[in-house]
Amino acid sequence: MEQRQQIEELVYRSCLALDDRDFKAFLELCDPGFRYKVTAYSPEIRKELVWLDHDRKGMETLFTNLPRHNSDHAPLTRHATVYTVKVDGGQAEVVSALQVFRTALDGGATELFAVARLVDTIKLDGGTPKLAARLVRMGTRQLGFGSHIPF
Amino acid sequence: MAKTAAEWNAPPPKFPVTHYVDSRIYTEQEIFEEEREKLFRPSWIIACHESEVANAFDYRLFTHPTGVPLIVVRGEDMKVRCFYNICPHRGNTILYDPAGNAKRMTCIFHAWSFDTQGNCVEISRAEQGYQDRFCTKDAGLREVKVEMGFGGFAWVNLDDACGSLADYIGPAMDVLQPYMQEPMEVFHFNRAIVDTNYKLWHDTNSEFYHDFVHYFNRITGMMQPGYFERKYTAFPNGHASVGSMSIQYDKYAGSKERAVGWPGLTPGGWYMVDLFPGMTYNLRTSVLRIDTAIPLGPNKVAIEFRGLGLKRDTPEQRAERVFDHNTIWGPFGRNLHEDLLAVHGQGRAMRENTDSRWVIHGREENSTIHDEVGMRHFYAEWSRRMGRPSYDPMREGRPEPARAAA
Repeated sequence: MEQRQQIEELVYRSCLALDDRDFKAFLELCDPGFRYKVTAYSPEIRKELVWLDHDRKGMETLFTNLPRHNSDHAPLTRHATVYTVKVDGGQAEVVSALQVFRTALDGGATELFAVARLVDTIKLDGGTPKLAARLVRMGTRQLGFGSHIPF
Repeated sequence: MAKTAAEWNAPPPKFPVTHYVDSRIYTEQEIFEEEREKLFRPSWIIACHESEVANAFDYRLFTHPTGVPLIVVRGEDMKVRCFYNICPHRGNTILYDPAGNAKRMTCIFHAWSFDTQGNCVEISRAEQGYQDRFCTKDAGLREVKVEMGFGGFAWVNLDDACGSLADYIGPAMDVLQPYMQEPMEVFHFNRAIVDTNYKLWHDTNSEFYHDFVHYFNRITGMMQPGYFERKYTAFPNGHASVGSMSIQYDKYAGSKERAVGWPGLTPGGWYMVDLFPGMTYNLRTSVLRIDTAIPLGPNKVAIEFRGLGLKRDTPEQRAERVFDHNTIWGPFGRNLHEDLLAVHGQGRAMRENTDSRWVIHGREENSTIHDEVGMRHFYAEWSRRMGRPSYDPMREGRPEPARAAA
């Protein structure tokens, strides 16, 4: 498979895994040194915000703890489009546009939940590409009653 | 035992009228409009923090709970003032961006310009159009009272005849004042808009019985020593505080000791102060969180969340506070989503025509953490200011309280 296609498929598989709440499958796409971060810029306080910042172990714990919490059960659907892929040696930086939709369980109405940009660092030197880092750069900052599930 | 319609519609038995409210206080448009005028217009409301307008000419926009758009701006003299964000010419918005720095505040529509003291300093082609009938002196902005205090917040009051902020707060913040001696800085802001009544959010901040919704709080708090000793204290004007305990963060898998702490606060300490009619100070171990509820309708509220650290934080200390904050209170945090989901559920169940009738505030546990005295105290003040008993807001003739509100 062409490298670009492999990279794109990794991004899309990560979205599918999270859509399915198959967190084990998501983590299998990640490098042991994986880092996940959600950030946003607040024009209200004119500051950069960090909403989540976890290493791989932190993500595992987050996923493990999820069933113990009360969460909204409406499914989220991620729609990513890979915009740019920049390969540099053994890794690639991939920028994707992301829209997240929420579908109500009762009636099935779908609404746009959030827009964001994904900046993924992908390791290419181990045979199968792996996510080394994901930065979710939020455009949307008003999430209603919010979510426990990362993007 | 399930109820018939008559039993459902009857007030909760065996409680005095101080211990429940009629659900219509959360749904009626008439009550909502009255609350804006009677509760919010004459109350001191947090608009922003001093760190959001740190420099001369810094401004911050704030939509007051009555709906009035405001500009909070720091002048060249470093004094913070507040004005309507409404051009006195054709009623346009003067400043559009939620924050910025503006030596002159100029309306984009016809280029009328204002200084940070509210004076109109420029009317484009004034003499040609108004001759000697109208000039800059006639075109000042509407100024709103603002006081800085209680941790460096900018409090605004639309009532020109209001009393002082100190009188409004009274002793309610005494429990927190020792921990707010150092300058603080906002590091987090976000706004949640939820289909629910603003009071239901404030209620959630005013009772800890709902810790059952929070796995995190059950594990780190409810199941730990000292939890049931936390006490509510009620203060004049509808304010209340909650005493501290030592949160056992290590009981939650993946959580860690919050080493950065807060000056003077016992490790794991946690104080809360609920301020009438919809603000909460929440100092938890390493972070101060401030909630400001801005009602948008009977069943819609915007809640502004702020997270604050110390101005002197090193980057490492700040990063720890941000992490601590977001683990629980961030938009993807463990507790915030649960709280918002819960009040969203109340909004669903109580919106107009659902036939929700009563909300019970009946727990009495010697004012300790699962006692609902905080809400009873709020609704006693609500009833007094509204001139409507919360148990009979449509004045249908229910009996007077059998005993005073707790």
